[in-house]
Amino acid sequence: MNSFAWASARTIAEAATAATTTVSDAMVASPDAIDGGTKSVVKAGGIDLLDLLKENLLTPGTVVSLKEVPGLDAVAEEQGGGLRIGSMATLANLAGHPVLRRFYPALADAIQGSASPQLRNVATLGGNLLQRPRCWYLRATEFHCLRKGGGHCFAISGENQYHAIFNNRPCAIVHPSTAATVLVALGASVELTNAEGSVRRLLLEDFFVAADTDVQRENDLSAQEILTAVLLPPVPASLHMAHLRQGEKESFDWPLADVAVVLELDRDGSCKRASIVLGAAAPVPYRATAAEAVLAGKRIDESAVREAGHAALAGATPLDKNAYKLPLFEALVRRAVLKALA
Amino acid sequence: MAADGTTRTEKFPFGIASVGLGEVDRQVPIDEPPPLAPNAELAVIGKPIPRQNGRAKVTGATRFTVDVTLPGMLYGKILRSPLPHAEIRAIDVSAAARHPGVCAVLPVARSDDPSASVVRYIGAPVAAIAAVTMAAAEEALRLIRVDYNLLPFVVDVDKARESTAPLVHDSGSVPPGHASGFPAPTGLPLNGNVRGPAVASRGDVAQGFAQAGVVVEGEYRTQVQTHCCMEPHAIVADWRPDGLTVYMSTQFTAGVRHELAAEFGLPLSRVRVVVDGMGGGFGSKSMLSKYGRVAVALSRQAQAPVRIALDREEEQMDSGNRPGTWQRLRIGARRDGSLTAISLVGYGTAGVGLGAGVGNIAQALYACPNFETAQFDVFTNAGPGCAMRGPGNTPGAWGLEQAIDELALRLSIDPVVLRDRIDPSPVRREERRIGADRIGWQHRHAPGADPGPIKRGLGVAQSLWGANVQINSACEVRVMRDGSVEVLSGVQDIGTGIGTVLAQVVAEVFGLRPEDIAIRIGDTDFPAGPPSYGSRTTASITPPARTAAWRVLQELYREAALALNAATGDLTASAGRIFVRDEPSRGMNFGEAAARLRTDQISAVASRSDDYGGFRRRMGDAALAEQDLGGVQFAQVAVDTETGIIRVERVVAVQDCGRPINPLQIESQVQGGVLMGLSYALYENRILDQHTGRMVNPNLEQYKLAGPREAPAIDVVVLENYQGQSATDAYGIAEPSNIATAPAIANAVYNAIGVRLRSTPMTPAAVFAALGKVPSGSQ
Amino acid sequence: MVDAVSAFIGQQAAAEGSSLTALGPGAVPISLKVNGVAQTLQVEPRMTLAEALRGPLGLTGTKVACDRGACSACTVWLDGTTVCSCMTLAVEVAGRSVTTIEGLANGSQLHPVQAAFIEHDALQCGFCTPGMVMSCAALLERSPDPTAEEVQRAISGHICRCGTYPHVVAATLAAAKA
Repeated sequence: MNSFAWASARTIAEAATAATTTVSDAMVASPDAIDGGTKSVVKAGGIDLLDLLKENLLTPGTVVSLKEVPGLDAVAEEQGGGLRIGSMATLANLAGHPVLRRFYPALADAIQGSASPQLRNVATLGGNLLQRPRCWYLRATEFHCLRKGGGHCFAISGENQYHAIFNNRPCAIVHPSTAATVLVALGASVELTNAEGSVRRLLLEDFFVAADTDVQRENDLSAQEILTAVLLPPVPASLHMAHLRQGEKESFDWPLADVAVVLELDRDGSCKRASIVLGAAAPVPYRATAAEAVLAGKRIDESAVREAGHAALAGATPLDKNAYKLPLFEALVRRAVLKALA
Repeated sequence: MAADGTTRTEKFPFGIASVGLGEVDRQVPIDEPPPLAPNAELAVIGKPIPRQNGRAKVTGATRFTVDVTLPGMLYGKILRSPLPHAEIRAIDVSAAARHPGVCAVLPVARSDDPSASVVRYIGAPVAAIAAVTMAAAEEALRLIRVDYNLLPFVVDVDKARESTAPLVHDSGSVPPGHASGFPAPTGLPLNGNVRGPAVASRGDVAQGFAQAGVVVEGEYRTQVQTHCCMEPHAIVADWRPDGLTVYMSTQFTAGVRHELAAEFGLPLSRVRVVVDGMGGGFGSKSMLSKYGRVAVALSRQAQAPVRIALDREEEQMDSGNRPGTWQRLRIGARRDGSLTAISLVGYGTAGVGLGAGVGNIAQALYACPNFETAQFDVFTNAGPGCAMRGPGNTPGAWGLEQAIDELALRLSIDPVVLRDRIDPSPVRREERRIGADRIGWQHRHAPGADPGPIKRGLGVAQSLWGANVQINSACEVRVMRDGSVEVLSGVQDIGTGIGTVLAQVVAEVFGLRPEDIAIRIGDTDFPAGPPSYGSRTTASITPPARTAAWRVLQELYREAALALNAATGDLTASAGRIFVRDEPSRGMNFGEAAARLRTDQISAVASRSDDYGGFRRRMGDAALAEQDLGGVQFAQVAVDTETGIIRVERVVAVQDCGRPINPLQIESQVQGGVLMGLSYALYENRILDQHTGRMVNPNLEQYKLAGPREAPAIDVVVLENYQGQSATDAYGIAEPSNIATAPAIANAVYNAIGVRLRSTPMTPAAVFAALGKVPSGSQ
Repeated sequence: MVDAVSAFIGQQAAAEGSSLTALGPGAVPISLKVNGVAQTLQVEPRMTLAEALRGPLGLTGTKVACDRGACSACTVWLDGTTVCSCMTLAVEVAGRSVTTIEGLANGSQLHPVQAAFIEHDALQCGFCTPGMVMSCAALLERSPDPTAEEVQRAISGHICRCGTYPHVVAATLAAAKA
């Protein structure tokens, strides 16, 4: 690991002012700088950041910690429903949070299934949403890939068993956050605060950046901007949700596929609105709109469930080694819909 | 032999305890102890004694090699090739040598030496630095300028077999190899990247197939598995004018000492190798290795201790691996199941190394008059393989035991019944009986019979492993005047608990408790111990330990006999006392007897004698016992045919190791063997990028190992199999417990879904491909 | 409520902090409590807690195996919760309390989990053992009577190549009953 200086921000303003670059930009700027980094990056829980630092993928001049900023880890119910989650809330606290467990069980499940107990004790929701993808080509300095400013995606013609089956051009990463899969399905927003204190809020779905829009970043975070909160919309009693993930292993592992389903049901049991999002499927959480359309306006019976599972795969463009994700997603969509209804 | 007075005839317990014990006459050297009774009659042998170094391990007090710090110690780091095949035109270390804190610089590859100017895999050592801090060493490493000329390369084993493939080796650059567990045969032809065949045969295979009523034929593949020792390969080398001391995470202190003496021109008396805690080896820490040589050379150059510990990426790329294999098996049988012919062709790759065979299990497990095999090494531009837990027979069993399962189906004979007919071993017969009963084999259904998407199945597979013995194994036992006891040997505890086993064996002789015995091992200052590989440690070192203790006890008896006015032959030692066998009240405490010694301590050194019934084969310092080690494992799986996930729910492992000495530690080892086999069957895979030759998962995250939640219920049963072969009659367990697991799981998967998976690892992609849900290339 | 928090954060941002003082990249002093003892040491910001424990503090019981948070061998307690010390910077534990394997026993009295590990042979080579013990002991602190599945989940980030998982679960359940 290269040397860096350390600063502990006490306010958002301090942190935002100091954050002269984003991790994504920094990884493009200096792929093999030794001690050339002069810019500062922000550290939340730091799990992903330390990984990048240890691999010499990131060589910042200064690391600015958010841990001492008061109140950033608060979880608060909003007036009129909804929940505001401070970006520094740890995954462990969220997984066990009674409000999440009661009203957003799919999100609690997704978070509980992430990483390992030790990592969840440290990792934050903000960091989880902003972490870089696990693509093994991105994660090794030897591969100067598109996402690091290179000219080539090594995965598309290489070892792509864990890569994207949707929107996988020009880069085939999958977004690593399972929490994001549920948050997008819930219609959650993020709150971003800059050095001047102005705040922008946007849907998480819109915050993520598709690979064909900008291949060097997964989200719209700017330099001198801090992800300060995640905002969950209220959940009426008519809302039913589920999250399922499938890893090769149940012990610490990244999902091969994960699916979030949020269904809004009429009093007569028919589906007013369906939100179906696939994780580990595309460079950003992938909304399976064709599957949503199958369920919307219908009483969900067995054949509708089957049809939705099938429709979820519409438009998939699997690579040489990941076609197995198709039947896997099909099964998970079916099972997640049934679990949401149960 | 008895006539010349060097041996005497003794009656030993013989047979399998759960079946019924008989007796066998053996010739025993006169200076070795009388036969050891069956475990049921013993005080501490055969009992589940907690391990003697457990407290140190659970409190963090154990000193592993990575924990060793010496005054003035430098940090060594190796520069490794970033290219899979390259000629080195020049290495310039001048800037690195000038970097602050650098104390020694060592070129490993050399542009001026044709035998050392080519690197053949990513991660191959090129040069090394020793510096006052790790950071300084890493900085200096980046200042070494290497001019590489990239050469054509091949990392895919199938492509490497093609006649147009780039050549990995010329005939002069083929290294000696041990990946099979034994030195690779020499003098075999090299055609392109294909070396071999190594052949073996008996009978007439063509005639055998002509006699067959049924022939099964299949191709089986296994991936490259890496050892993933939790403690990395590590060494602290301390070169001094009066000799060399090396602290090393090694499976063989005595062997490393020999290698060091030869490599650096030192007498054995000037080389000391020490290991205390040893964080796993599984075959990969059997030898000095290149990093070890580098550390010693750096220490010699810098005149200071040098530490090298590989990082995880180095571990994954260049600390050895289990070679990948491909095999085609043909087996012919009569309608009654009796085998008429087995033909086996194998191609394996140990990267740039040798020894990628599929072992001798197809040759030796079943009765079959006609057999032939041809096995080839295929060179690829990948890190060299080395022995790994059950080398050869583990991938060999993957093929053989599935082929036998398939044969049983074709013959409409239950797989357990078929094995009863073709497997001559009475030990495995009993193991099958016990295992089938425990797993509920009678409830096994027809392949694919479960109606829902989640299908369960049962499978069985067998293990075969030679009972290895290291003749060159010695042990000293000392009794002090205060009654305390010490056992000393160079043998190392790599996690199997050999120290505890030695304490039990010696305590049994003296009638003491295991915790009364001080264990000093892992140091070549003590009598040379055996290696901890080839499942030979217990078989090699426990007989000399018992013999040495028995000899010391005779000396103690002489003192006690004088005091008790008894004959030494009438004395016995038990429950902390030495007394007249037929008159227990006539005796004294062990300590009182010791207090009568004329000197502060008495001692005896014993070495491993030949097995009393003789060996099957001698090979230098090593030998192969007459009887094999077996083991039969049953697996129950649940296959989710909609997600492709295989879950192993239960494994019953019935194993044998001669006389079991510590059933608790044996259970641990068998569970470990099962879990490593399960991990091999389902998860692990060294993945190389075909375009660059780089391993893309050189870590413990994307190189996937079975974790706690993948552990099935594991039911371990260990037979007591007495053969009357040594002073303890004990043999090994580590490797036999690993060999049968993967094919038992595969056979259970077949029973669950009615389709056979012939390649490891059995990922969801492979399951879907087998079920026809995705094209078979997409995995 | 959320508006209040929002406003608070807005105020903070608007306050426009004076420029932040950075420490390092050379060594900086930190104070922390390790196994109940106050310690002051010099650390570069890049030094991990695992390196600080094993190096200047001489507490080599904490092991590093993957160095990336993927095997949990380096598990210690930070203010009572388990963390991977290889993925924690020493500089950020200033003022906090760390418990390592060396500090788990009460003098010569082993923690029940340690005693049960010995009795149930929940260790082989022993390299992953300190971290494994810390996880199991932490579980019992917050859940005195866990199920086998809860133990498996608590250790689900650990890798043991020797395959001690079944005995680790048995030992932890036994320790809970002790």
